[in-house]
Amino acid sequence: MKTPHRSAGPDDLHVLTGSYALDALAGPERDAFERHLEHCASCDAEVRGLREAAARLAMARAVEPPDRMRRRVLAATYRTRQLPPALDDRLSRRASIVRLVLPAGRRTAPARHPHLPRAIAAVVAAAAAAAIAFGVVSQVTAPPRPPAAISSVLGARDAQTETMRTAGGGTVTVTVSWDQREAVVTTAGLSSLPSARVYQLWVMSPAGISPVQARSAGLLRSGPVLASAIRPGDRIGITVEPAGGTAQPTTKPVVTMTLPV
Amino acid sequence: MRRTEIRQLPPDPGAAEDTGRDPDLANLLARVACGDHQAFEQVYGELAGPVYGVVRQVLRDPAQSEEIAQEVLLEIWRTASRFDPARGSAAAWSLTIAHRRAVDRVRSENAGSRRELKAAPDLSAADEDVVEVVAGRLDQQRVRRCLGGLTDLQRESIKLAYYGGYSYPEVAQLLGVALGTVKTRIRDGMIRMRDCLGVDW
Repeated sequence: MKTPHRSAGPDDLHVLTGSYALDALAGPERDAFERHLEHCASCDAEVRGLREAAARLAMARAVEPPDRMRRRVLAATYRTRQLPPALDDRLSRRASIVRLVLPAGRRTAPARHPHLPRAIAAVVAAAAAAAIAFGVVSQVTAPPRPPAAISSVLGARDAQTETMRTAGGGTVTVTVSWDQREAVVTTAGLSSLPSARVYQLWVMSPAGISPVQARSAGLLRSGPVLASAIRPGDRIGITVEPAGGTAQPTTKPVVTMTLPV
Repeated sequence: MRRTEIRQLPPDPGAAEDTGRDPDLANLLARVACGDHQAFEQVYGELAGPVYGVVRQVLRDPAQSEEIAQEVLLEIWRTASRFDPARGSAAAWSLTIAHRRAVDRVRSENAGSRRELKAAPDLSAADEDVVEVVAGRLDQQRVRRCLGGLTDLQRESIKLAYYGGYSYPEVAQLLGVALGTVKTRIRDGMIRMRDCLGVDW
């Protein structure tokens, strides 16, 4: 841990302990380093120490959150089932640290792993993460769908997720299950609208087919919305509409996305 | 003969006591794992400020930060049973979740459009003058003092990576130095921070 680093082999990876502890490794390099950590006790120990130091950096920037956050979070705990203790220590560590902290939107199709328990853990985590997002917001807006339907798509074995940035800022994340022919759409950071306007979600006919046919999948407040009876090639679109929504889109979509197949 | 060496700042003697191991928070988390809502309220009281603060430091946008901080705090409720006190402090476990979640949000938003990397961003505490900063003054002073003991390159690399949420290749580009240099500076700097802060894991 305090040895000077040389240029080749495992030392190359070992020098990444600092960057890993600061979440400064992106994508494949992070995955590779996490695999390395499982076999490198000294790296693991060093990462833990550096994470403690990183936590101090965080604590030095503590900021009083808005009061409403407390009410929301405490209320949401009453609607949120907790994970049972892990029986297999190694599995749980992977599941809780590696998987759970990734937002559901960044995961691609599970089941590529031959490790069934791990895949299950990831799927459960995805469903639960969605349930959380839903739980937090559902006291603010009336739930458009029972969480079970949404969790069922997010937890589907064939679930595929794609995230896209909208022109006006913010992101839209779509998770599709073709087995269930349903998609769950969530948004984050869309620019806020005047109270007389809402975001409305549409399922639209494939690009290139005109006239475009669109059917409403509901209003997007802050919770996830379920789009049913989707077909391959369909797109989803989000428009700004008068409060209460409309039967057909009346404005140009702020974003459209072809459902991942 | 007395050996002379250039010594870094000595560990702060008080460091390990008040913010080091946090048996109370660890015990509270154990109760939370059993579904104890009252214990969670106390955990919330301890962690909401640091969680919201670090998320906001990285994301900057108050509304998005609030959303992510809520998710993180609920995640702490949900996964409390997975906290293992043998592997680190409860604060580090929680803040690791918070920081990573914030960074993942930044990276997923930047996935399509490459982040503009021409000028290093301002990494002062988010809206320091507007929001009420609740970090203990001791915490802040200690961190500032230890950061002050680093080389400029170590300090800038660490601040860009942790407070800015940049990956180390992005940090390298921002600072105009080689990848390998940034990797080693971040590690060396964090080891010095760990030793200076008196962190013991």
